[in-house]
Amino acid sequence: MAHRSPPAPDDASHFVSAASLRRRLEWFDRLRWVAVVCVVVATLVADGVLPGSLPVGRLLAAAAVLAVLNAVYTVRNLRVPPTDLRVELRHVKLQMVGDLFLLTVMLNFSGGIENPLLFMYLIHVIIASLLFKGREVFQIAWLAIFLLTADVAGEHLGLLAHHHLLSASPATHQLPFILLTLGSFWLVLLFAAYIGSSIMKHNRAIKDELVQRQRELVVADRAKLDFFRFVTHEIKSPVATAQSAVQAALELGEDDLPDQVKDLLGRAVGRLNLAIEMVKDLADFTRGGDLKRVEPAEIDLNVLIARIVDGQLDEAARRNVTINMSLPSIQPHVVGHAGMLEKIVRNLVSNAVRYSEPGGRVDVGLDLAPREYVLKVADQGIGIAPEDQEKIFDEFYRTRLAQDMSNLGTGLGLAIVRKFTEELGGTVTLESEPGRGSTFTVTIPRTGDTNPPREEP
Amino acid sequence: METDRTILVIDDDIDLVEVIRMTLENEGYRVIDAQTGERGLATAKREQPDLILLDVMMGTVDEGFQVAYELRGDEATREIPILMLTAVTDQTGFDFDPGKDQEYLPVNEFLEKPVSPRKLIDLVRKHLPAKA
Repeated sequence: MAHRSPPAPDDASHFVSAASLRRRLEWFDRLRWVAVVCVVVATLVADGVLPGSLPVGRLLAAAAVLAVLNAVYTVRNLRVPPTDLRVELRHVKLQMVGDLFLLTVMLNFSGGIENPLLFMYLIHVIIASLLFKGREVFQIAWLAIFLLTADVAGEHLGLLAHHHLLSASPATHQLPFILLTLGSFWLVLLFAAYIGSSIMKHNRAIKDELVQRQRELVVADRAKLDFFRFVTHEIKSPVATAQSAVQAALELGEDDLPDQVKDLLGRAVGRLNLAIEMVKDLADFTRGGDLKRVEPAEIDLNVLIARIVDGQLDEAARRNVTINMSLPSIQPHVVGHAGMLEKIVRNLVSNAVRYSEPGGRVDVGLDLAPREYVLKVADQGIGIAPEDQEKIFDEFYRTRLAQDMSNLGTGLGLAIVRKFTEELGGTVTLESEPGRGSTFTVTIPRTGDTNPPREEP
Repeated sequence: METDRTILVIDDDIDLVEVIRMTLENEGYRVIDAQTGERGLATAKREQPDLILLDVMMGTVDEGFQVAYELRGDEATREIPILMLTAVTDQTGFDFDPGKDQEYLPVNEFLEKPVSPRKLIDLVRKHLPAKA
């Protein structure tokens, strides 16, 4: 048996999807607006307190550049749908490089190494370690280190202008302070990059393993289903052949066989029938999801119900039970899963017939509402005691009364009804009174068909 | 008793073939059989049976379907009625709706095993073409 294993996504070992990364990108965009506002406000406040201490024009220009870039990012995020994770990641990296450059420029305008906001570099390295893999995290860390070191060296050597920050002490111009600060900066950034990326590496490994396990489970599940089908067929075929053989023996020897032998063969046929029912029910019960994978198609519910009731007429006649159908006069076309619906209806109707008293009546009704359709199967049979009403939907549960009345039940019929109904998004309810009968109501939403019911031509 | 009508059973379940043989021979039919689709096709052409009972699953899950299509596609066997037997209706992953799928499935009747002898005899009678 061939198994199609699910395709391995390229980005499986990343922690984010393109869409979730995009949401973070949009969050970064908002943060950047906040940064623009902060830079503008801080510059104006500082200039108000100590006029002339900062190059206000240049700082505002840098803030303007950041605003323009951010506007471009925002528009891009609105226009381009997030489809490829690698494209999104490249975009983040580009933005980060741009941000680091602008941060350095602004730091240069506002005191360089004197400005405690150089911690902002650390934030970028932390974000990088969350999004990228090891080498790229260190690229960002080294870029930050290079930019700050170049600025500080440039200012110290007089290649770049140095702007004093507010109350910065003259000590900031001394080499030991600069080296100490730069050294700590290098250490902290590289350490952050190392810790961040190694923790994320570990997390990615865990995620890879989970993805792998998930994939194995899907394959195992499919193998189980295939195996189950095989077993079902392999069990049902010989049992069906045995049933046919015994049945044929009974019919061929009708006139010659002693009554005792006929009785025994009849019992054998009964038990073989039960085995066949059991295999069929088990197959149905385990194959629900499988049936749902079949494309939903247009179904005429009247035809479907009438066909199933037709199939139950022989059994009903044998038990002296009448089946009464009340179906809508318009053709109730819905889009749905015929296979599952059929099993729901068949199980309910055959139950109703099986547990009716002789002379009883089974009512099968269908109501078609705009958003849902309601199927009702009512009998005047043995009924179900209140304490059993929830349990009868459990697999293999049969009430004492049902067991006494018929040894034909598998205990799976109603479990199948409930399972399939729920898989179709519907509900099944039961009203019952012991000795007076039961009414099962199945309500299934009409999904997929938007056309109004057609008039009878 | 109808001694001149021949029924071909194509099924790899020898026991079932014997059950069907006894049931139908008791009614006076001549029963021939083939255990593979390939031999079934050859026998059908050579013997020109009056009706064919065909199992869906033999070597593969849908060998019976292939055989049915080939029987219908061949001038020599096109008119022979086919009753198709299957152990599990939805074995191949899609459910057959005998009413709906008849136009796609070129068989006269689709039966789920086990088929009772009485029903089998009735259906054979129903689908046997009237004698020329």
